[in-house]
Formats: sequence, C-alpha cells, structure tokens
Amino acid sequence: QDLAKKNTANRQVVEARRRLLEEWQAWRESQIEMLKALGAEIELNGGRVLKEEDGAVEEVE
Amino acid sequence: MRPILLSGHERALTQVKYNSDGDIIFSVSKDHVVCAWFSHNGERLGTYHGHQGALWTVDVDPTSTLLATGGADNTMRLWEVKTGKLLKTWDFATSIKRVEFSPDGRQLLGVTEKRSGHLSTIVVYEINPDPETEQTNEQSLRIVCDESKATVAGFSYLAKWIIAGHEDGTISQFDAKTGELLYSTQAHEPDMQITDLQWAPDRTYFITASKDKTAKILATESLEVLKTFTADTPLNSAAITPVKDYVILGGGQAAMDVTTTSARQGKFEARFYHKVFMEEIGRVRGHFGPLNYVAVHPQGAGYCSGGEDGYVRVHHFDKPYFDFMYEVEREQANL
Repeated sequence: QDLAKKNTANRQVVEARRRLLEEWQAWRESQIEMLKALGAEIELNGGRVLKEEDGAVEEVE
Repeated sequence: MRPILLSGHERALTQVKYNSDGDIIFSVSKDHVVCAWFSHNGERLGTYHGHQGALWTVDVDPTSTLLATGGADNTMRLWEVKTGKLLKTWDFATSIKRVEFSPDGRQLLGVTEKRSGHLSTIVVYEINPDPETEQTNEQSLRIVCDESKATVAGFSYLAKWIIAGHEDGTISQFDAKTGELLYSTQAHEPDMQITDLQWAPDRTYFITASKDKTAKILATESLEVLKTFTADTPLNSAAITPVKDYVILGGGQAAMDVTTTSARQGKFEARFYHKVFMEEIGRVRGHFGPLNYVAVHPQGAGYCSGGEDGYVRVHHFDKPYFDFMYEVEREQANL
C-alpha cells in the first residue's frame, strides 16, 4: 500500500512538471513569434548585433 | 567544473559582466578600478583608471566597443574598451548605482542614488557608437522616482520600456520614449529591496533578486510573476542561463549583519535552480563572503561570480551540467 501511495505521488510530481514545461514552452513560442513580428533582430540573436560580414554565416553553438 | 580565480581587486566586487561574445569579463569593485579579463584563462587584459570612489556598476555595449561605469564619485563614465581611453564623464549630485545599454547600444541609462534633497532618478543618454566622436551632455529622458528609489533598471526588448526595481520591493514599467509610468507591481515582499535585475537573452522576461530571499521571473510586457525561486538567505544577484533552463542565485549575509557570529551561517554559495520547475538542483561553494553578483556567459558556456571577498570566480560548465535532464525534459527531447 505504501508503495502504491509513493507511485501515485511520483506520478503527480511528473505530471505537474510536464504541465509546467508545456506551459513554459507555449509561452516562449508566443514571445518568439511576437519578436519576429516586430523584427527584433538583436533580441532574436541572443543580444548580439548582426554584423554585415556574418550575414550568411550560420552560428554554431 | 574547475574555477579560475581572478585576483586583482583589493576590495569587494560589486558587478561583473561578460561581453556579448563571452570572451571578456569586466569587473568593478569598491577599489575604484575597472578590470577586463580574458574569460577562458583569467588573464588580465587591462584596467580603466579615473574613478575617484567605489564603483557600483559596469556594462559593455553589444559590439564590445564602449564600456560604461558608475560609482560613488557621482559620475557615470564612458570608456573605449580597446584602448582604455576615457571618452566621457557625466556628473551628478549623487552616486550612480546602475548603468545599462539598450539592446542596440544606442542608448545608455543610469540610476542615480537618493540623498537628502535629491530624489532617485533614471537618466537616459543617446550614445554615438563611434568612439572618435563627442558624446552628448543632453539627457534624452529623466525619470524621477518619487515613490520609492530605483535600485536597478534596464531596457526591454527593442528599448520599448524601461523596467526598474525599487527599494520597496516593487517593479515598475516606464515608457522608454516618454518616461511615463505605465505599471507598477509589488513583486517582492514590501520594503525588501530589489538587488538585481537581469534579462533573458531576448529580453521578453527577466529575473529579479531581493533581500526577501527570493528571486522571481517576470514577463516584460505584463510584469506577471511567472516563476519564484525561494532561497534561505538574502539575495544580491540572479542570472538566467541560456542553453540549459537554469537560473543562478547569489547572496549571503555578511558576518557583520549576522547576529550569530559563525561565518558558516553566511551561506556563500552560488545556487542553481531549474528555471521551469523552480527546484534547487545544486550549489557551488568557493567564496568566503557574500556573492554580490553572478553573470552568465552569453552562449551558456559558464558563469562568473563577484564576491564581497574581493575575488571573481570563473566557472566553465562541463559535460554533466549540459547532460543533466529531468525525465519530462528527456521525454520532450525524444519526441
């Protein structure tokens, strides 16, 4: 019975985390769409100003 | 995670900052000196001399051309990063507690201290990015904080708003063009000072640290509190890590402020929390005084902390840091 209780508790914790993660990701996507619509290039580039010479260069991180 | 110790300052660190490429760290201290260091090996690149008092704040523009500083000598200064040349000094009636560039580096804000006869203000200057040209004396904006003094402030995405943290635990949002107060919220405990405000890379949200022992993530547009991180010590600083969904908190009570005399009660550790789940996941020891500031490498490669003990500690994240995942994160990654 203790084991069953523990499993239920664990499942609830995992469920709660899954919900938090989904909510966060949905909100982040909405914010990124908003920045794209506003043409916020520096912000979408993580705060780095795009230089002319690296216009075609893809950044590998 | 073997840290590099930057020893060169003679007094407590007040702020540390990476440039946008993450290869240089700038540090300011109560010893009046600004230092620049290579982040990968801790070698000192140079110093910037001229301030006549304790330094409180530093920021570097997004192209690593210009450096701004402010301190107890009631000046805000602009320097050329490369040469160390002092380009401009703006004088005030009180000390400068915070400086920060706008995302494009074309504007610089300063937060001035409150003192008898002088209210705290947030001032803005237009910045010419060319180090060869004369910078303006004219403030493009001046916001007077008459309710509660501002302690920290910065520009939102696209410099649309100025977001400020105050001595009374409130966060406010101002129109960055007109200076109009749009919204204010009691995000932290009343009369518990906001000690830090740092942005997410795209500035759509930010994290605040407070003496109320919590850090909070707020949405820039709505000022809605999205996340709360609860610590067991007053916090001086909070930073958001890119790549991994973590936040790093720093604080601790100075021995003189602790009623019980044991230094062990100071809790001088950097604390890592999961940004989304708000759970503590680890601590990093090292400093033997409170952590006054934590800064994260802009590409997420590491972090550094500036301590009351006079040291900057630079940490490069290793593989386990990047590999660590919650079960639900792994599920998502495998989808």
